[in-house]
Amino acid sequence: MRKTAEAPEINAGSMADIAFLLLIFFLVTTTILQEKGLMLKLPPEQNLEPVKINERNIFKILINSNNQFLVEGEIRKDLNGLRGEIETFVMNNGHNPRLSDNPEEAIVSIKTSRGTDYGQFITALDETKAAYYGIYGRRVGMTGDEFRQLDLRDPMSKRLYQKGKDGIPMNISIAEPEKTKS
Amino acid sequence: MSKFRTKSKKKSVISTSSLPDIVFLLLFFFMMTATIRSNQDQQEIIEPKAHAITKVDQKNLIRELTIGKARDRRFGDQEIIMDKDGPIAIDDLVQWTLEQKNTLPEYQKPQMIVMIRADKHVKMGLISDIQEELRKANTRKVLYRSRDEPRP
Repeated sequence: MRKTAEAPEINAGSMADIAFLLLIFFLVTTTILQEKGLMLKLPPEQNLEPVKINERNIFKILINSNNQFLVEGEIRKDLNGLRGEIETFVMNNGHNPRLSDNPEEAIVSIKTSRGTDYGQFITALDETKAAYYGIYGRRVGMTGDEFRQLDLRDPMSKRLYQKGKDGIPMNISIAEPEKTKS
Repeated sequence: MSKFRTKSKKKSVISTSSLPDIVFLLLFFFMMTATIRSNQDQQEIIEPKAHAITKVDQKNLIRELTIGKARDRRFGDQEIIMDKDGPIAIDDLVQWTLEQKNTLPEYQKPQMIVMIRADKHVKMGLISDIQEELRKANTRKVLYRSRDEPRP
């Protein structure tokens, strides 16, 4: 009686192919949930008494329905340099009589019209936020990007974050678009 | 002389039997971290680019609204609002928000974040109408979903 010495073996090589196929299927059909974006807190519902705000404490950005910018009364094609202007506006501390009294009272107002593109609004909001992060970062010796990426779960980073933010609230006001008169 | 001729005839082979295990591990990783795209493709959405974006750590607080033109022409060629289950009329948004809030535990209810994922050509009129409704429902945290754009 002849008997083969080797035990019969199932070829497992194709197993990898099957697994790869499944892997590629899942890679294609799924997307890793990404929750990244610009955070904003809307004002409360009840209409409070309009607070009198000194004109110099508001940095006005208007965007019309043709997506043109009007920054502090000046027509702009793009927002180049806006970040620096907001930084000087916020950190003015009363030096220039046309800019803000102090960082706490400074408000950046972004007003859109009903016909403005959402993308254009996001650009303006992004520039404003970048300006604030730049200010915060500089106070703790970082760049704005580094500051933005601080991990708040880490107590050390959290302290830095609070130190950078202390006394300079991010006052961004998004005014409701003007109702069109029909 | 014969000392140097002791080359075994068998070729040395790298065992590939553990390859499936590695691949399965990867597979399970992707299955765990990913969610199946449900209505991703029902609207035409190109998110605007932004740079100063922040990441939200508590993903369970987020509820998503997508705004854009539907690919399905039955919904018309106007921009519509959708959540993961389907289209929502703007008048139902307050109701929707309250329902979503009820899925969260009590202590997290005030912290609910509504993520607005809108096409960059959506008009601000619609966006502000939505925000108006959110304010009525006292859900004031909004996250504008945007693509990261590296900038100098």
